[in-house]
Amino acid sequence: MPLVTIGLAGGTLVGMALILTYILGWANKAFHVEVDPKVEAVNDALPGVNCGGCGYVGCGEYAEAVVLDNVPVNKCTVGGESCITAIAELMGVEVDTPLPFLPVVHCGARYKDRLGRSEYKGEQRCVAANLIADVQGCTYGCLGFGDCTRACNYDALHVIDGLATVDYEKCVGCGACAKVCPRNIISITPFKEKQILAVACSNHDLGKEVTKVCKVGCLGCKACSRVSNLFTIENNLSTLNYDEYTNDRLDELEKARKRCPRQRLIFVGKPPKEGLKDDEDQEPPDIITPDFKTTVDDTEWRG
Amino acid sequence: MNYLAELFLIAISAALINNFVLYYFVGICPFIGVSREVDMAVGMGCAVTFVITIAAFLSWTITTFVLIPGAPLSAFIAGFFLTPENAALVDLTILSYIVYIFAIASSVQFVEMYVRKFFPALYKSFGVFLPLITTNCAILFACLTIMSHVSGVDNPADVWGLGESLTLAIFGGLGFTIAIVIMSGIREELEFCDIPDALKGAAITLIIAGILAMAFMGFTGVDSGLKKVLKPSQVKEAVIH
Repeated sequence: MPLVTIGLAGGTLVGMALILTYILGWANKAFHVEVDPKVEAVNDALPGVNCGGCGYVGCGEYAEAVVLDNVPVNKCTVGGESCITAIAELMGVEVDTPLPFLPVVHCGARYKDRLGRSEYKGEQRCVAANLIADVQGCTYGCLGFGDCTRACNYDALHVIDGLATVDYEKCVGCGACAKVCPRNIISITPFKEKQILAVACSNHDLGKEVTKVCKVGCLGCKACSRVSNLFTIENNLSTLNYDEYTNDRLDELEKARKRCPRQRLIFVGKPPKEGLKDDEDQEPPDIITPDFKTTVDDTEWRG
Repeated sequence: MNYLAELFLIAISAALINNFVLYYFVGICPFIGVSREVDMAVGMGCAVTFVITIAAFLSWTITTFVLIPGAPLSAFIAGFFLTPENAALVDLTILSYIVYIFAIASSVQFVEMYVRKFFPALYKSFGVFLPLITTNCAILFACLTIMSHVSGVDNPADVWGLGESLTLAIFGGLGFTIAIVIMSGIREELEFCDIPDALKGAAITLIIAGILAMAFMGFTGVDSGLKKVLKPSQVKEAVIH
């Protein structure tokens, strides 16, 4: 009796193993899904960090979209040029060197510039603080709790004096920070030059209201738009037309930058890191040239 | 009618009163791991319900035909070596755990391949959850519950058929879905709360699970009340006996 039980137990397991392996083996062949070798090759060329910067869920899905739906190959900002050329080669398409799309923080106020701040002891995160009125006077500007810093996988964003500041040397432009910012003040902008001018404010209120909450916010005074037609004032906020933006018009832009009473137009991008502090008190040159190693000006350098 | 009433009682009991997660505390890993967003929680709940149903069907079949003493298949084979009385006593329920895991894992594998081939959209939305729950304890728990009822260990007078087993599985899965969706709703709100550092993450989730379980204790006794309403004759008999 015990022997029979043991035998049956062993027999059951062996029998199940045989049946199930047979079924699974058959299913593996019968239900085999053809994966396009091209998709796999593109997938291998992608960085594989699944950051979602291209607008797809992960690298695999983007690879599929590239091969099957003819989606443009230059959407991966993380992989950079080498990755894009590799994919373009695989797909047999020509591609212009893409513009780097990098984040620009549309706020320039540090703690000392912000008015109407009150003590906030709640959850120290922007998404929570944003739900509460009166954390600071400005309802548009950076809250400085660093949700973007936590979202950044590349250590390229830090909160300095309460203002999110992008380290353009490290930034790959995945766009995670722009997605997570509850106030939507980070925009992913095409950088036509190493450095571009940007409006460092997001406040849409009238100038009078802005002066109440911020020492540096954009007033919507139109000083910049009078100088250059690259600027338009929308909802009391100066906006730059990046489609038309080129360094050829740097004269114009520089003039506008100087006209701004609040000095809200700032250059962002990859400045040389060293020597910024030392040069702060010197006179700015008349024209900002693309060679920023010699550039000095009284605005805030960020990077 | 009596059979339907029985099924109804099993369903209510599995979904609410003896909720897998909040009463027995099985299936905690997906409950903690995938309850961060409501969408994900719904996907996970559906996947668990689906797998648990397949697992219940398989485990009922295997238990009834192979494992329990006197099961047709094992008794038939044992009949070659033993007298019929002894052959009916051969008990293979010791194999239950390994056989269930075996059957569940391979059936889920099979279903995954099938879904991937014929329903790619469905595969994309919940395919990732399927391998995660192949050997989930909630599923094994459902199988073992079914086994104990089929073999009549607890109550020889009340042996379950396939209908009861499937009801337990489907509504157990539904109960799991209810629990995980409630949990994810709470956790989404929790994002905005000031949680002490020590309790962040899994700790606060387990505390909330405990509080939720206490809330679900409010359902205790509903089944006996329902039993009185649905099967007055049986209760009366029981009182007389």
